[in-house]
Amino acid sequence: MIRMIVTACAAVFLLNISTVAAQQAPAGGEPLDGETLFATTCGWCHADGGREAGKGPKLAASERTDEFIVQRIKHGKEGAMPAFQGTYNDEQIAEILKYIRGLKDDPG
Amino acid sequence: MKITKPIARAATLAFAAGITITAVPGLAQTVDTARIEAGGGNDWPTYHGNYKSYHYSTLDQINSSNVKDLQVAWMHFPGRSTRGVQSQPIVADGVLYYTGSYSRVFALNGATGELIWSYFPELDDALVARQTHSPYNRGTAMGDGKLYVGTVDGRLIALDLKTGKPVWDTKLVNSQKVTVGFTGAPLFAKGTVVIGSQGGEWPGRGPIFGVDAATGKQKWQFLTAGGNDDDTAAKKTWGNDSWRTGGGGGWMPGTFDPATNAIWWGTANPGPLYDWSGTDYMTKGARPGDNLYTTSVIGLDVDTGALKFYHQELPHDAWDFDSAVGEFISIDRDGKQLMVHPNKSGFIFVYDRKDAKVENVWRLVDNINFVKDITPKGELIGRRDFTAGKQDEVLCPHISGGVSWNSGSYDPKNGLYYKLGQEWCMKLNVVKTAAITEPQAQLNIGANFSIAKPPNGEISGHLDARDPITGAKKWEVRFPEPPLSSVLSTAGNLVFVPDARGVIHAYNSLDGKELWSHNDGTGHQGGIVSYSAGGKQYVAVVAGFGGMATDDYSTQFGEPYKSMPKDTGALIVFGLK
Ligand code: HEC
Repeated sequence: MIRMIVTACAAVFLLNISTVAAQQAPAGGEPLDGETLFATTCGWCHADGGREAGKGPKLAASERTDEFIVQRIKHGKEGAMPAFQGTYNDEQIAEILKYIRGLKDDPG
Repeated sequence: MKITKPIARAATLAFAAGITITAVPGLAQTVDTARIEAGGGNDWPTYHGNYKSYHYSTLDQINSSNVKDLQVAWMHFPGRSTRGVQSQPIVADGVLYYTGSYSRVFALNGATGELIWSYFPELDDALVARQTHSPYNRGTAMGDGKLYVGTVDGRLIALDLKTGKPVWDTKLVNSQKVTVGFTGAPLFAKGTVVIGSQGGEWPGRGPIFGVDAATGKQKWQFLTAGGNDDDTAAKKTWGNDSWRTGGGGGWMPGTFDPATNAIWWGTANPGPLYDWSGTDYMTKGARPGDNLYTTSVIGLDVDTGALKFYHQELPHDAWDFDSAVGEFISIDRDGKQLMVHPNKSGFIFVYDRKDAKVENVWRLVDNINFVKDITPKGELIGRRDFTAGKQDEVLCPHISGGVSWNSGSYDPKNGLYYKLGQEWCMKLNVVKTAAITEPQAQLNIGANFSIAKPPNGEISGHLDARDPITGAKKWEVRFPEPPLSSVLSTAGNLVFVPDARGVIHAYNSLDGKELWSHNDGTGHQGGIVSYSAGGKQYVAVVAGFGGMATDDYSTQFGEPYKSMPKDTGALIVFGLK
């Protein structure tokens, strides 16, 4: 029982730290969470977090290869989508890819 | 309004040779502050028509009885129209100036469309690829023998009005670092060229600049996020020093009021666009406090850039309903000198012109629920301040606004204001994000969302004819898809509305009856003007879809938007048979 509470507290503590870190991250490498990065720079155009077609195409259940998605994020498409190569490193792009692959194909 | 006799056929040659020909005898040959102030008639010397910003033409050669005979006189294709053509032409002495994407500038004979000169600046292509909305351009300013244009890579360029040769080229913003540049038109007044940068969703300080028209040297800068360095009071309205990444900006040209020597400018939103503070927005969330001077109208001394007065339309804007619309309509009524300014939310603010004190606020659109109301004194009642997560109720209007950045039109003859309203909403999921400034600034949205129907109906748009001070409605025309372009009214009792499908409509300005229409072949999202050249009145409109707001039309409405190009467009000029 005591152990459970301790674990729960630790989890809450960790959560808090990551939120604070996310808010105060000066930029650059941080934060690393794909979902947050998506809502920072992608959510405007890829509707409902990428689950629906909006300004940009739906990304959930994409049949594109990982390579294609990574290249699109890096280089964008002129007049449609900005290039993120200068902003995100490979690790961050991999996190975003993971987020996209994890999207369920049910808008809501 | 009298139209002067035809310019000689040699006019074009004379222009090319650099000889000024004036179509209006008795007026100064150069365009200066006095001429812009008096502007109208044969010319359209500044973005908003003249400093009163009526977007109204005093010409009546084309009128409600003969508009049925209006036809295409000539066209011009700017080419490489990435994100369409969004520019507002300006006209003086029979020459029309307009821009395409990538700040391509054209000077054309207003009667024939014949090219007088063109100028294509070389831009930083790698930077352009990293920017979000660009590389569209929304127009130019003229004055003191030069034409001024901004670029998305942070420069303001002056071109010789007669030859198109660059006179100076000043880098004002380090766009390579802050990502934003200039997409809006500059404003010329009293030897100063004013231009505001993009901002809002990009974590920067959103500067507005005053530049010496003669030399290209920066005279002053006003930082819309947190004010200038000595402005500690404004910085206190941003908890945790969040002004450093506050966004702001002022990306549409405002106007100049000679009575107060002030530039009126609308500022953009703070970033992130959405906040997760909940009701305690003064102490919690991404940017605790009111966030001055974002989502505000500001009055700056044109000579020094000193802040003379301001009003923050939405304190702590948590909805991206900014004040960046550049329309500031000067109207005198009942002994009061007033200024009318649409906020992106669809509320129209009426100010006292001497100090920006709120005189009235009225609603142009039906679907507004980010607040319960804004009182006639400008106070927000029943704000919706979100916490992180999915919001149960849709947010209205949609992020594309209750009004677009394009302008309405005020007809001083009948006292009616013609303005397009947009009815649409959005599903919103607020997400805690952090500003990215290294190695280069990036968007900071703070949410995922999607467009949604209003609670009680379909997405739609409407042209309203209203009293600009009280908002009393005289008539309206509904559109199934919101039109996004500017509107033109004329002394010929006409209102022109270029719609999103590509049809330009002319209505009787007194009752809204449609009198003429023409299909321009692709959607409109830019400017429209009327002018006279060679004794003949013309109406010039840009067509070419592809801005941020248009990006939702394909999934929302299907055809013709699904197949509508976002990389083409034209300038189309109409005259009577
Ligand atoms: C300004 C709007 C905009 C932003 C911001 C944006 N995108 Fe896009 N994106 C688009 C558009 C439009 C397309 C379609 C391009 C095309 O093929 O014509 C696209 C295409 C894509 C594709 C390829 C989809 C396919 O099946 O072809 C991926 C993957 C993608 N975006 C991911 C992202 C990610 C991740 C981000 C944020 C890091 C992002 N986008 C930011 C507009 C945007």
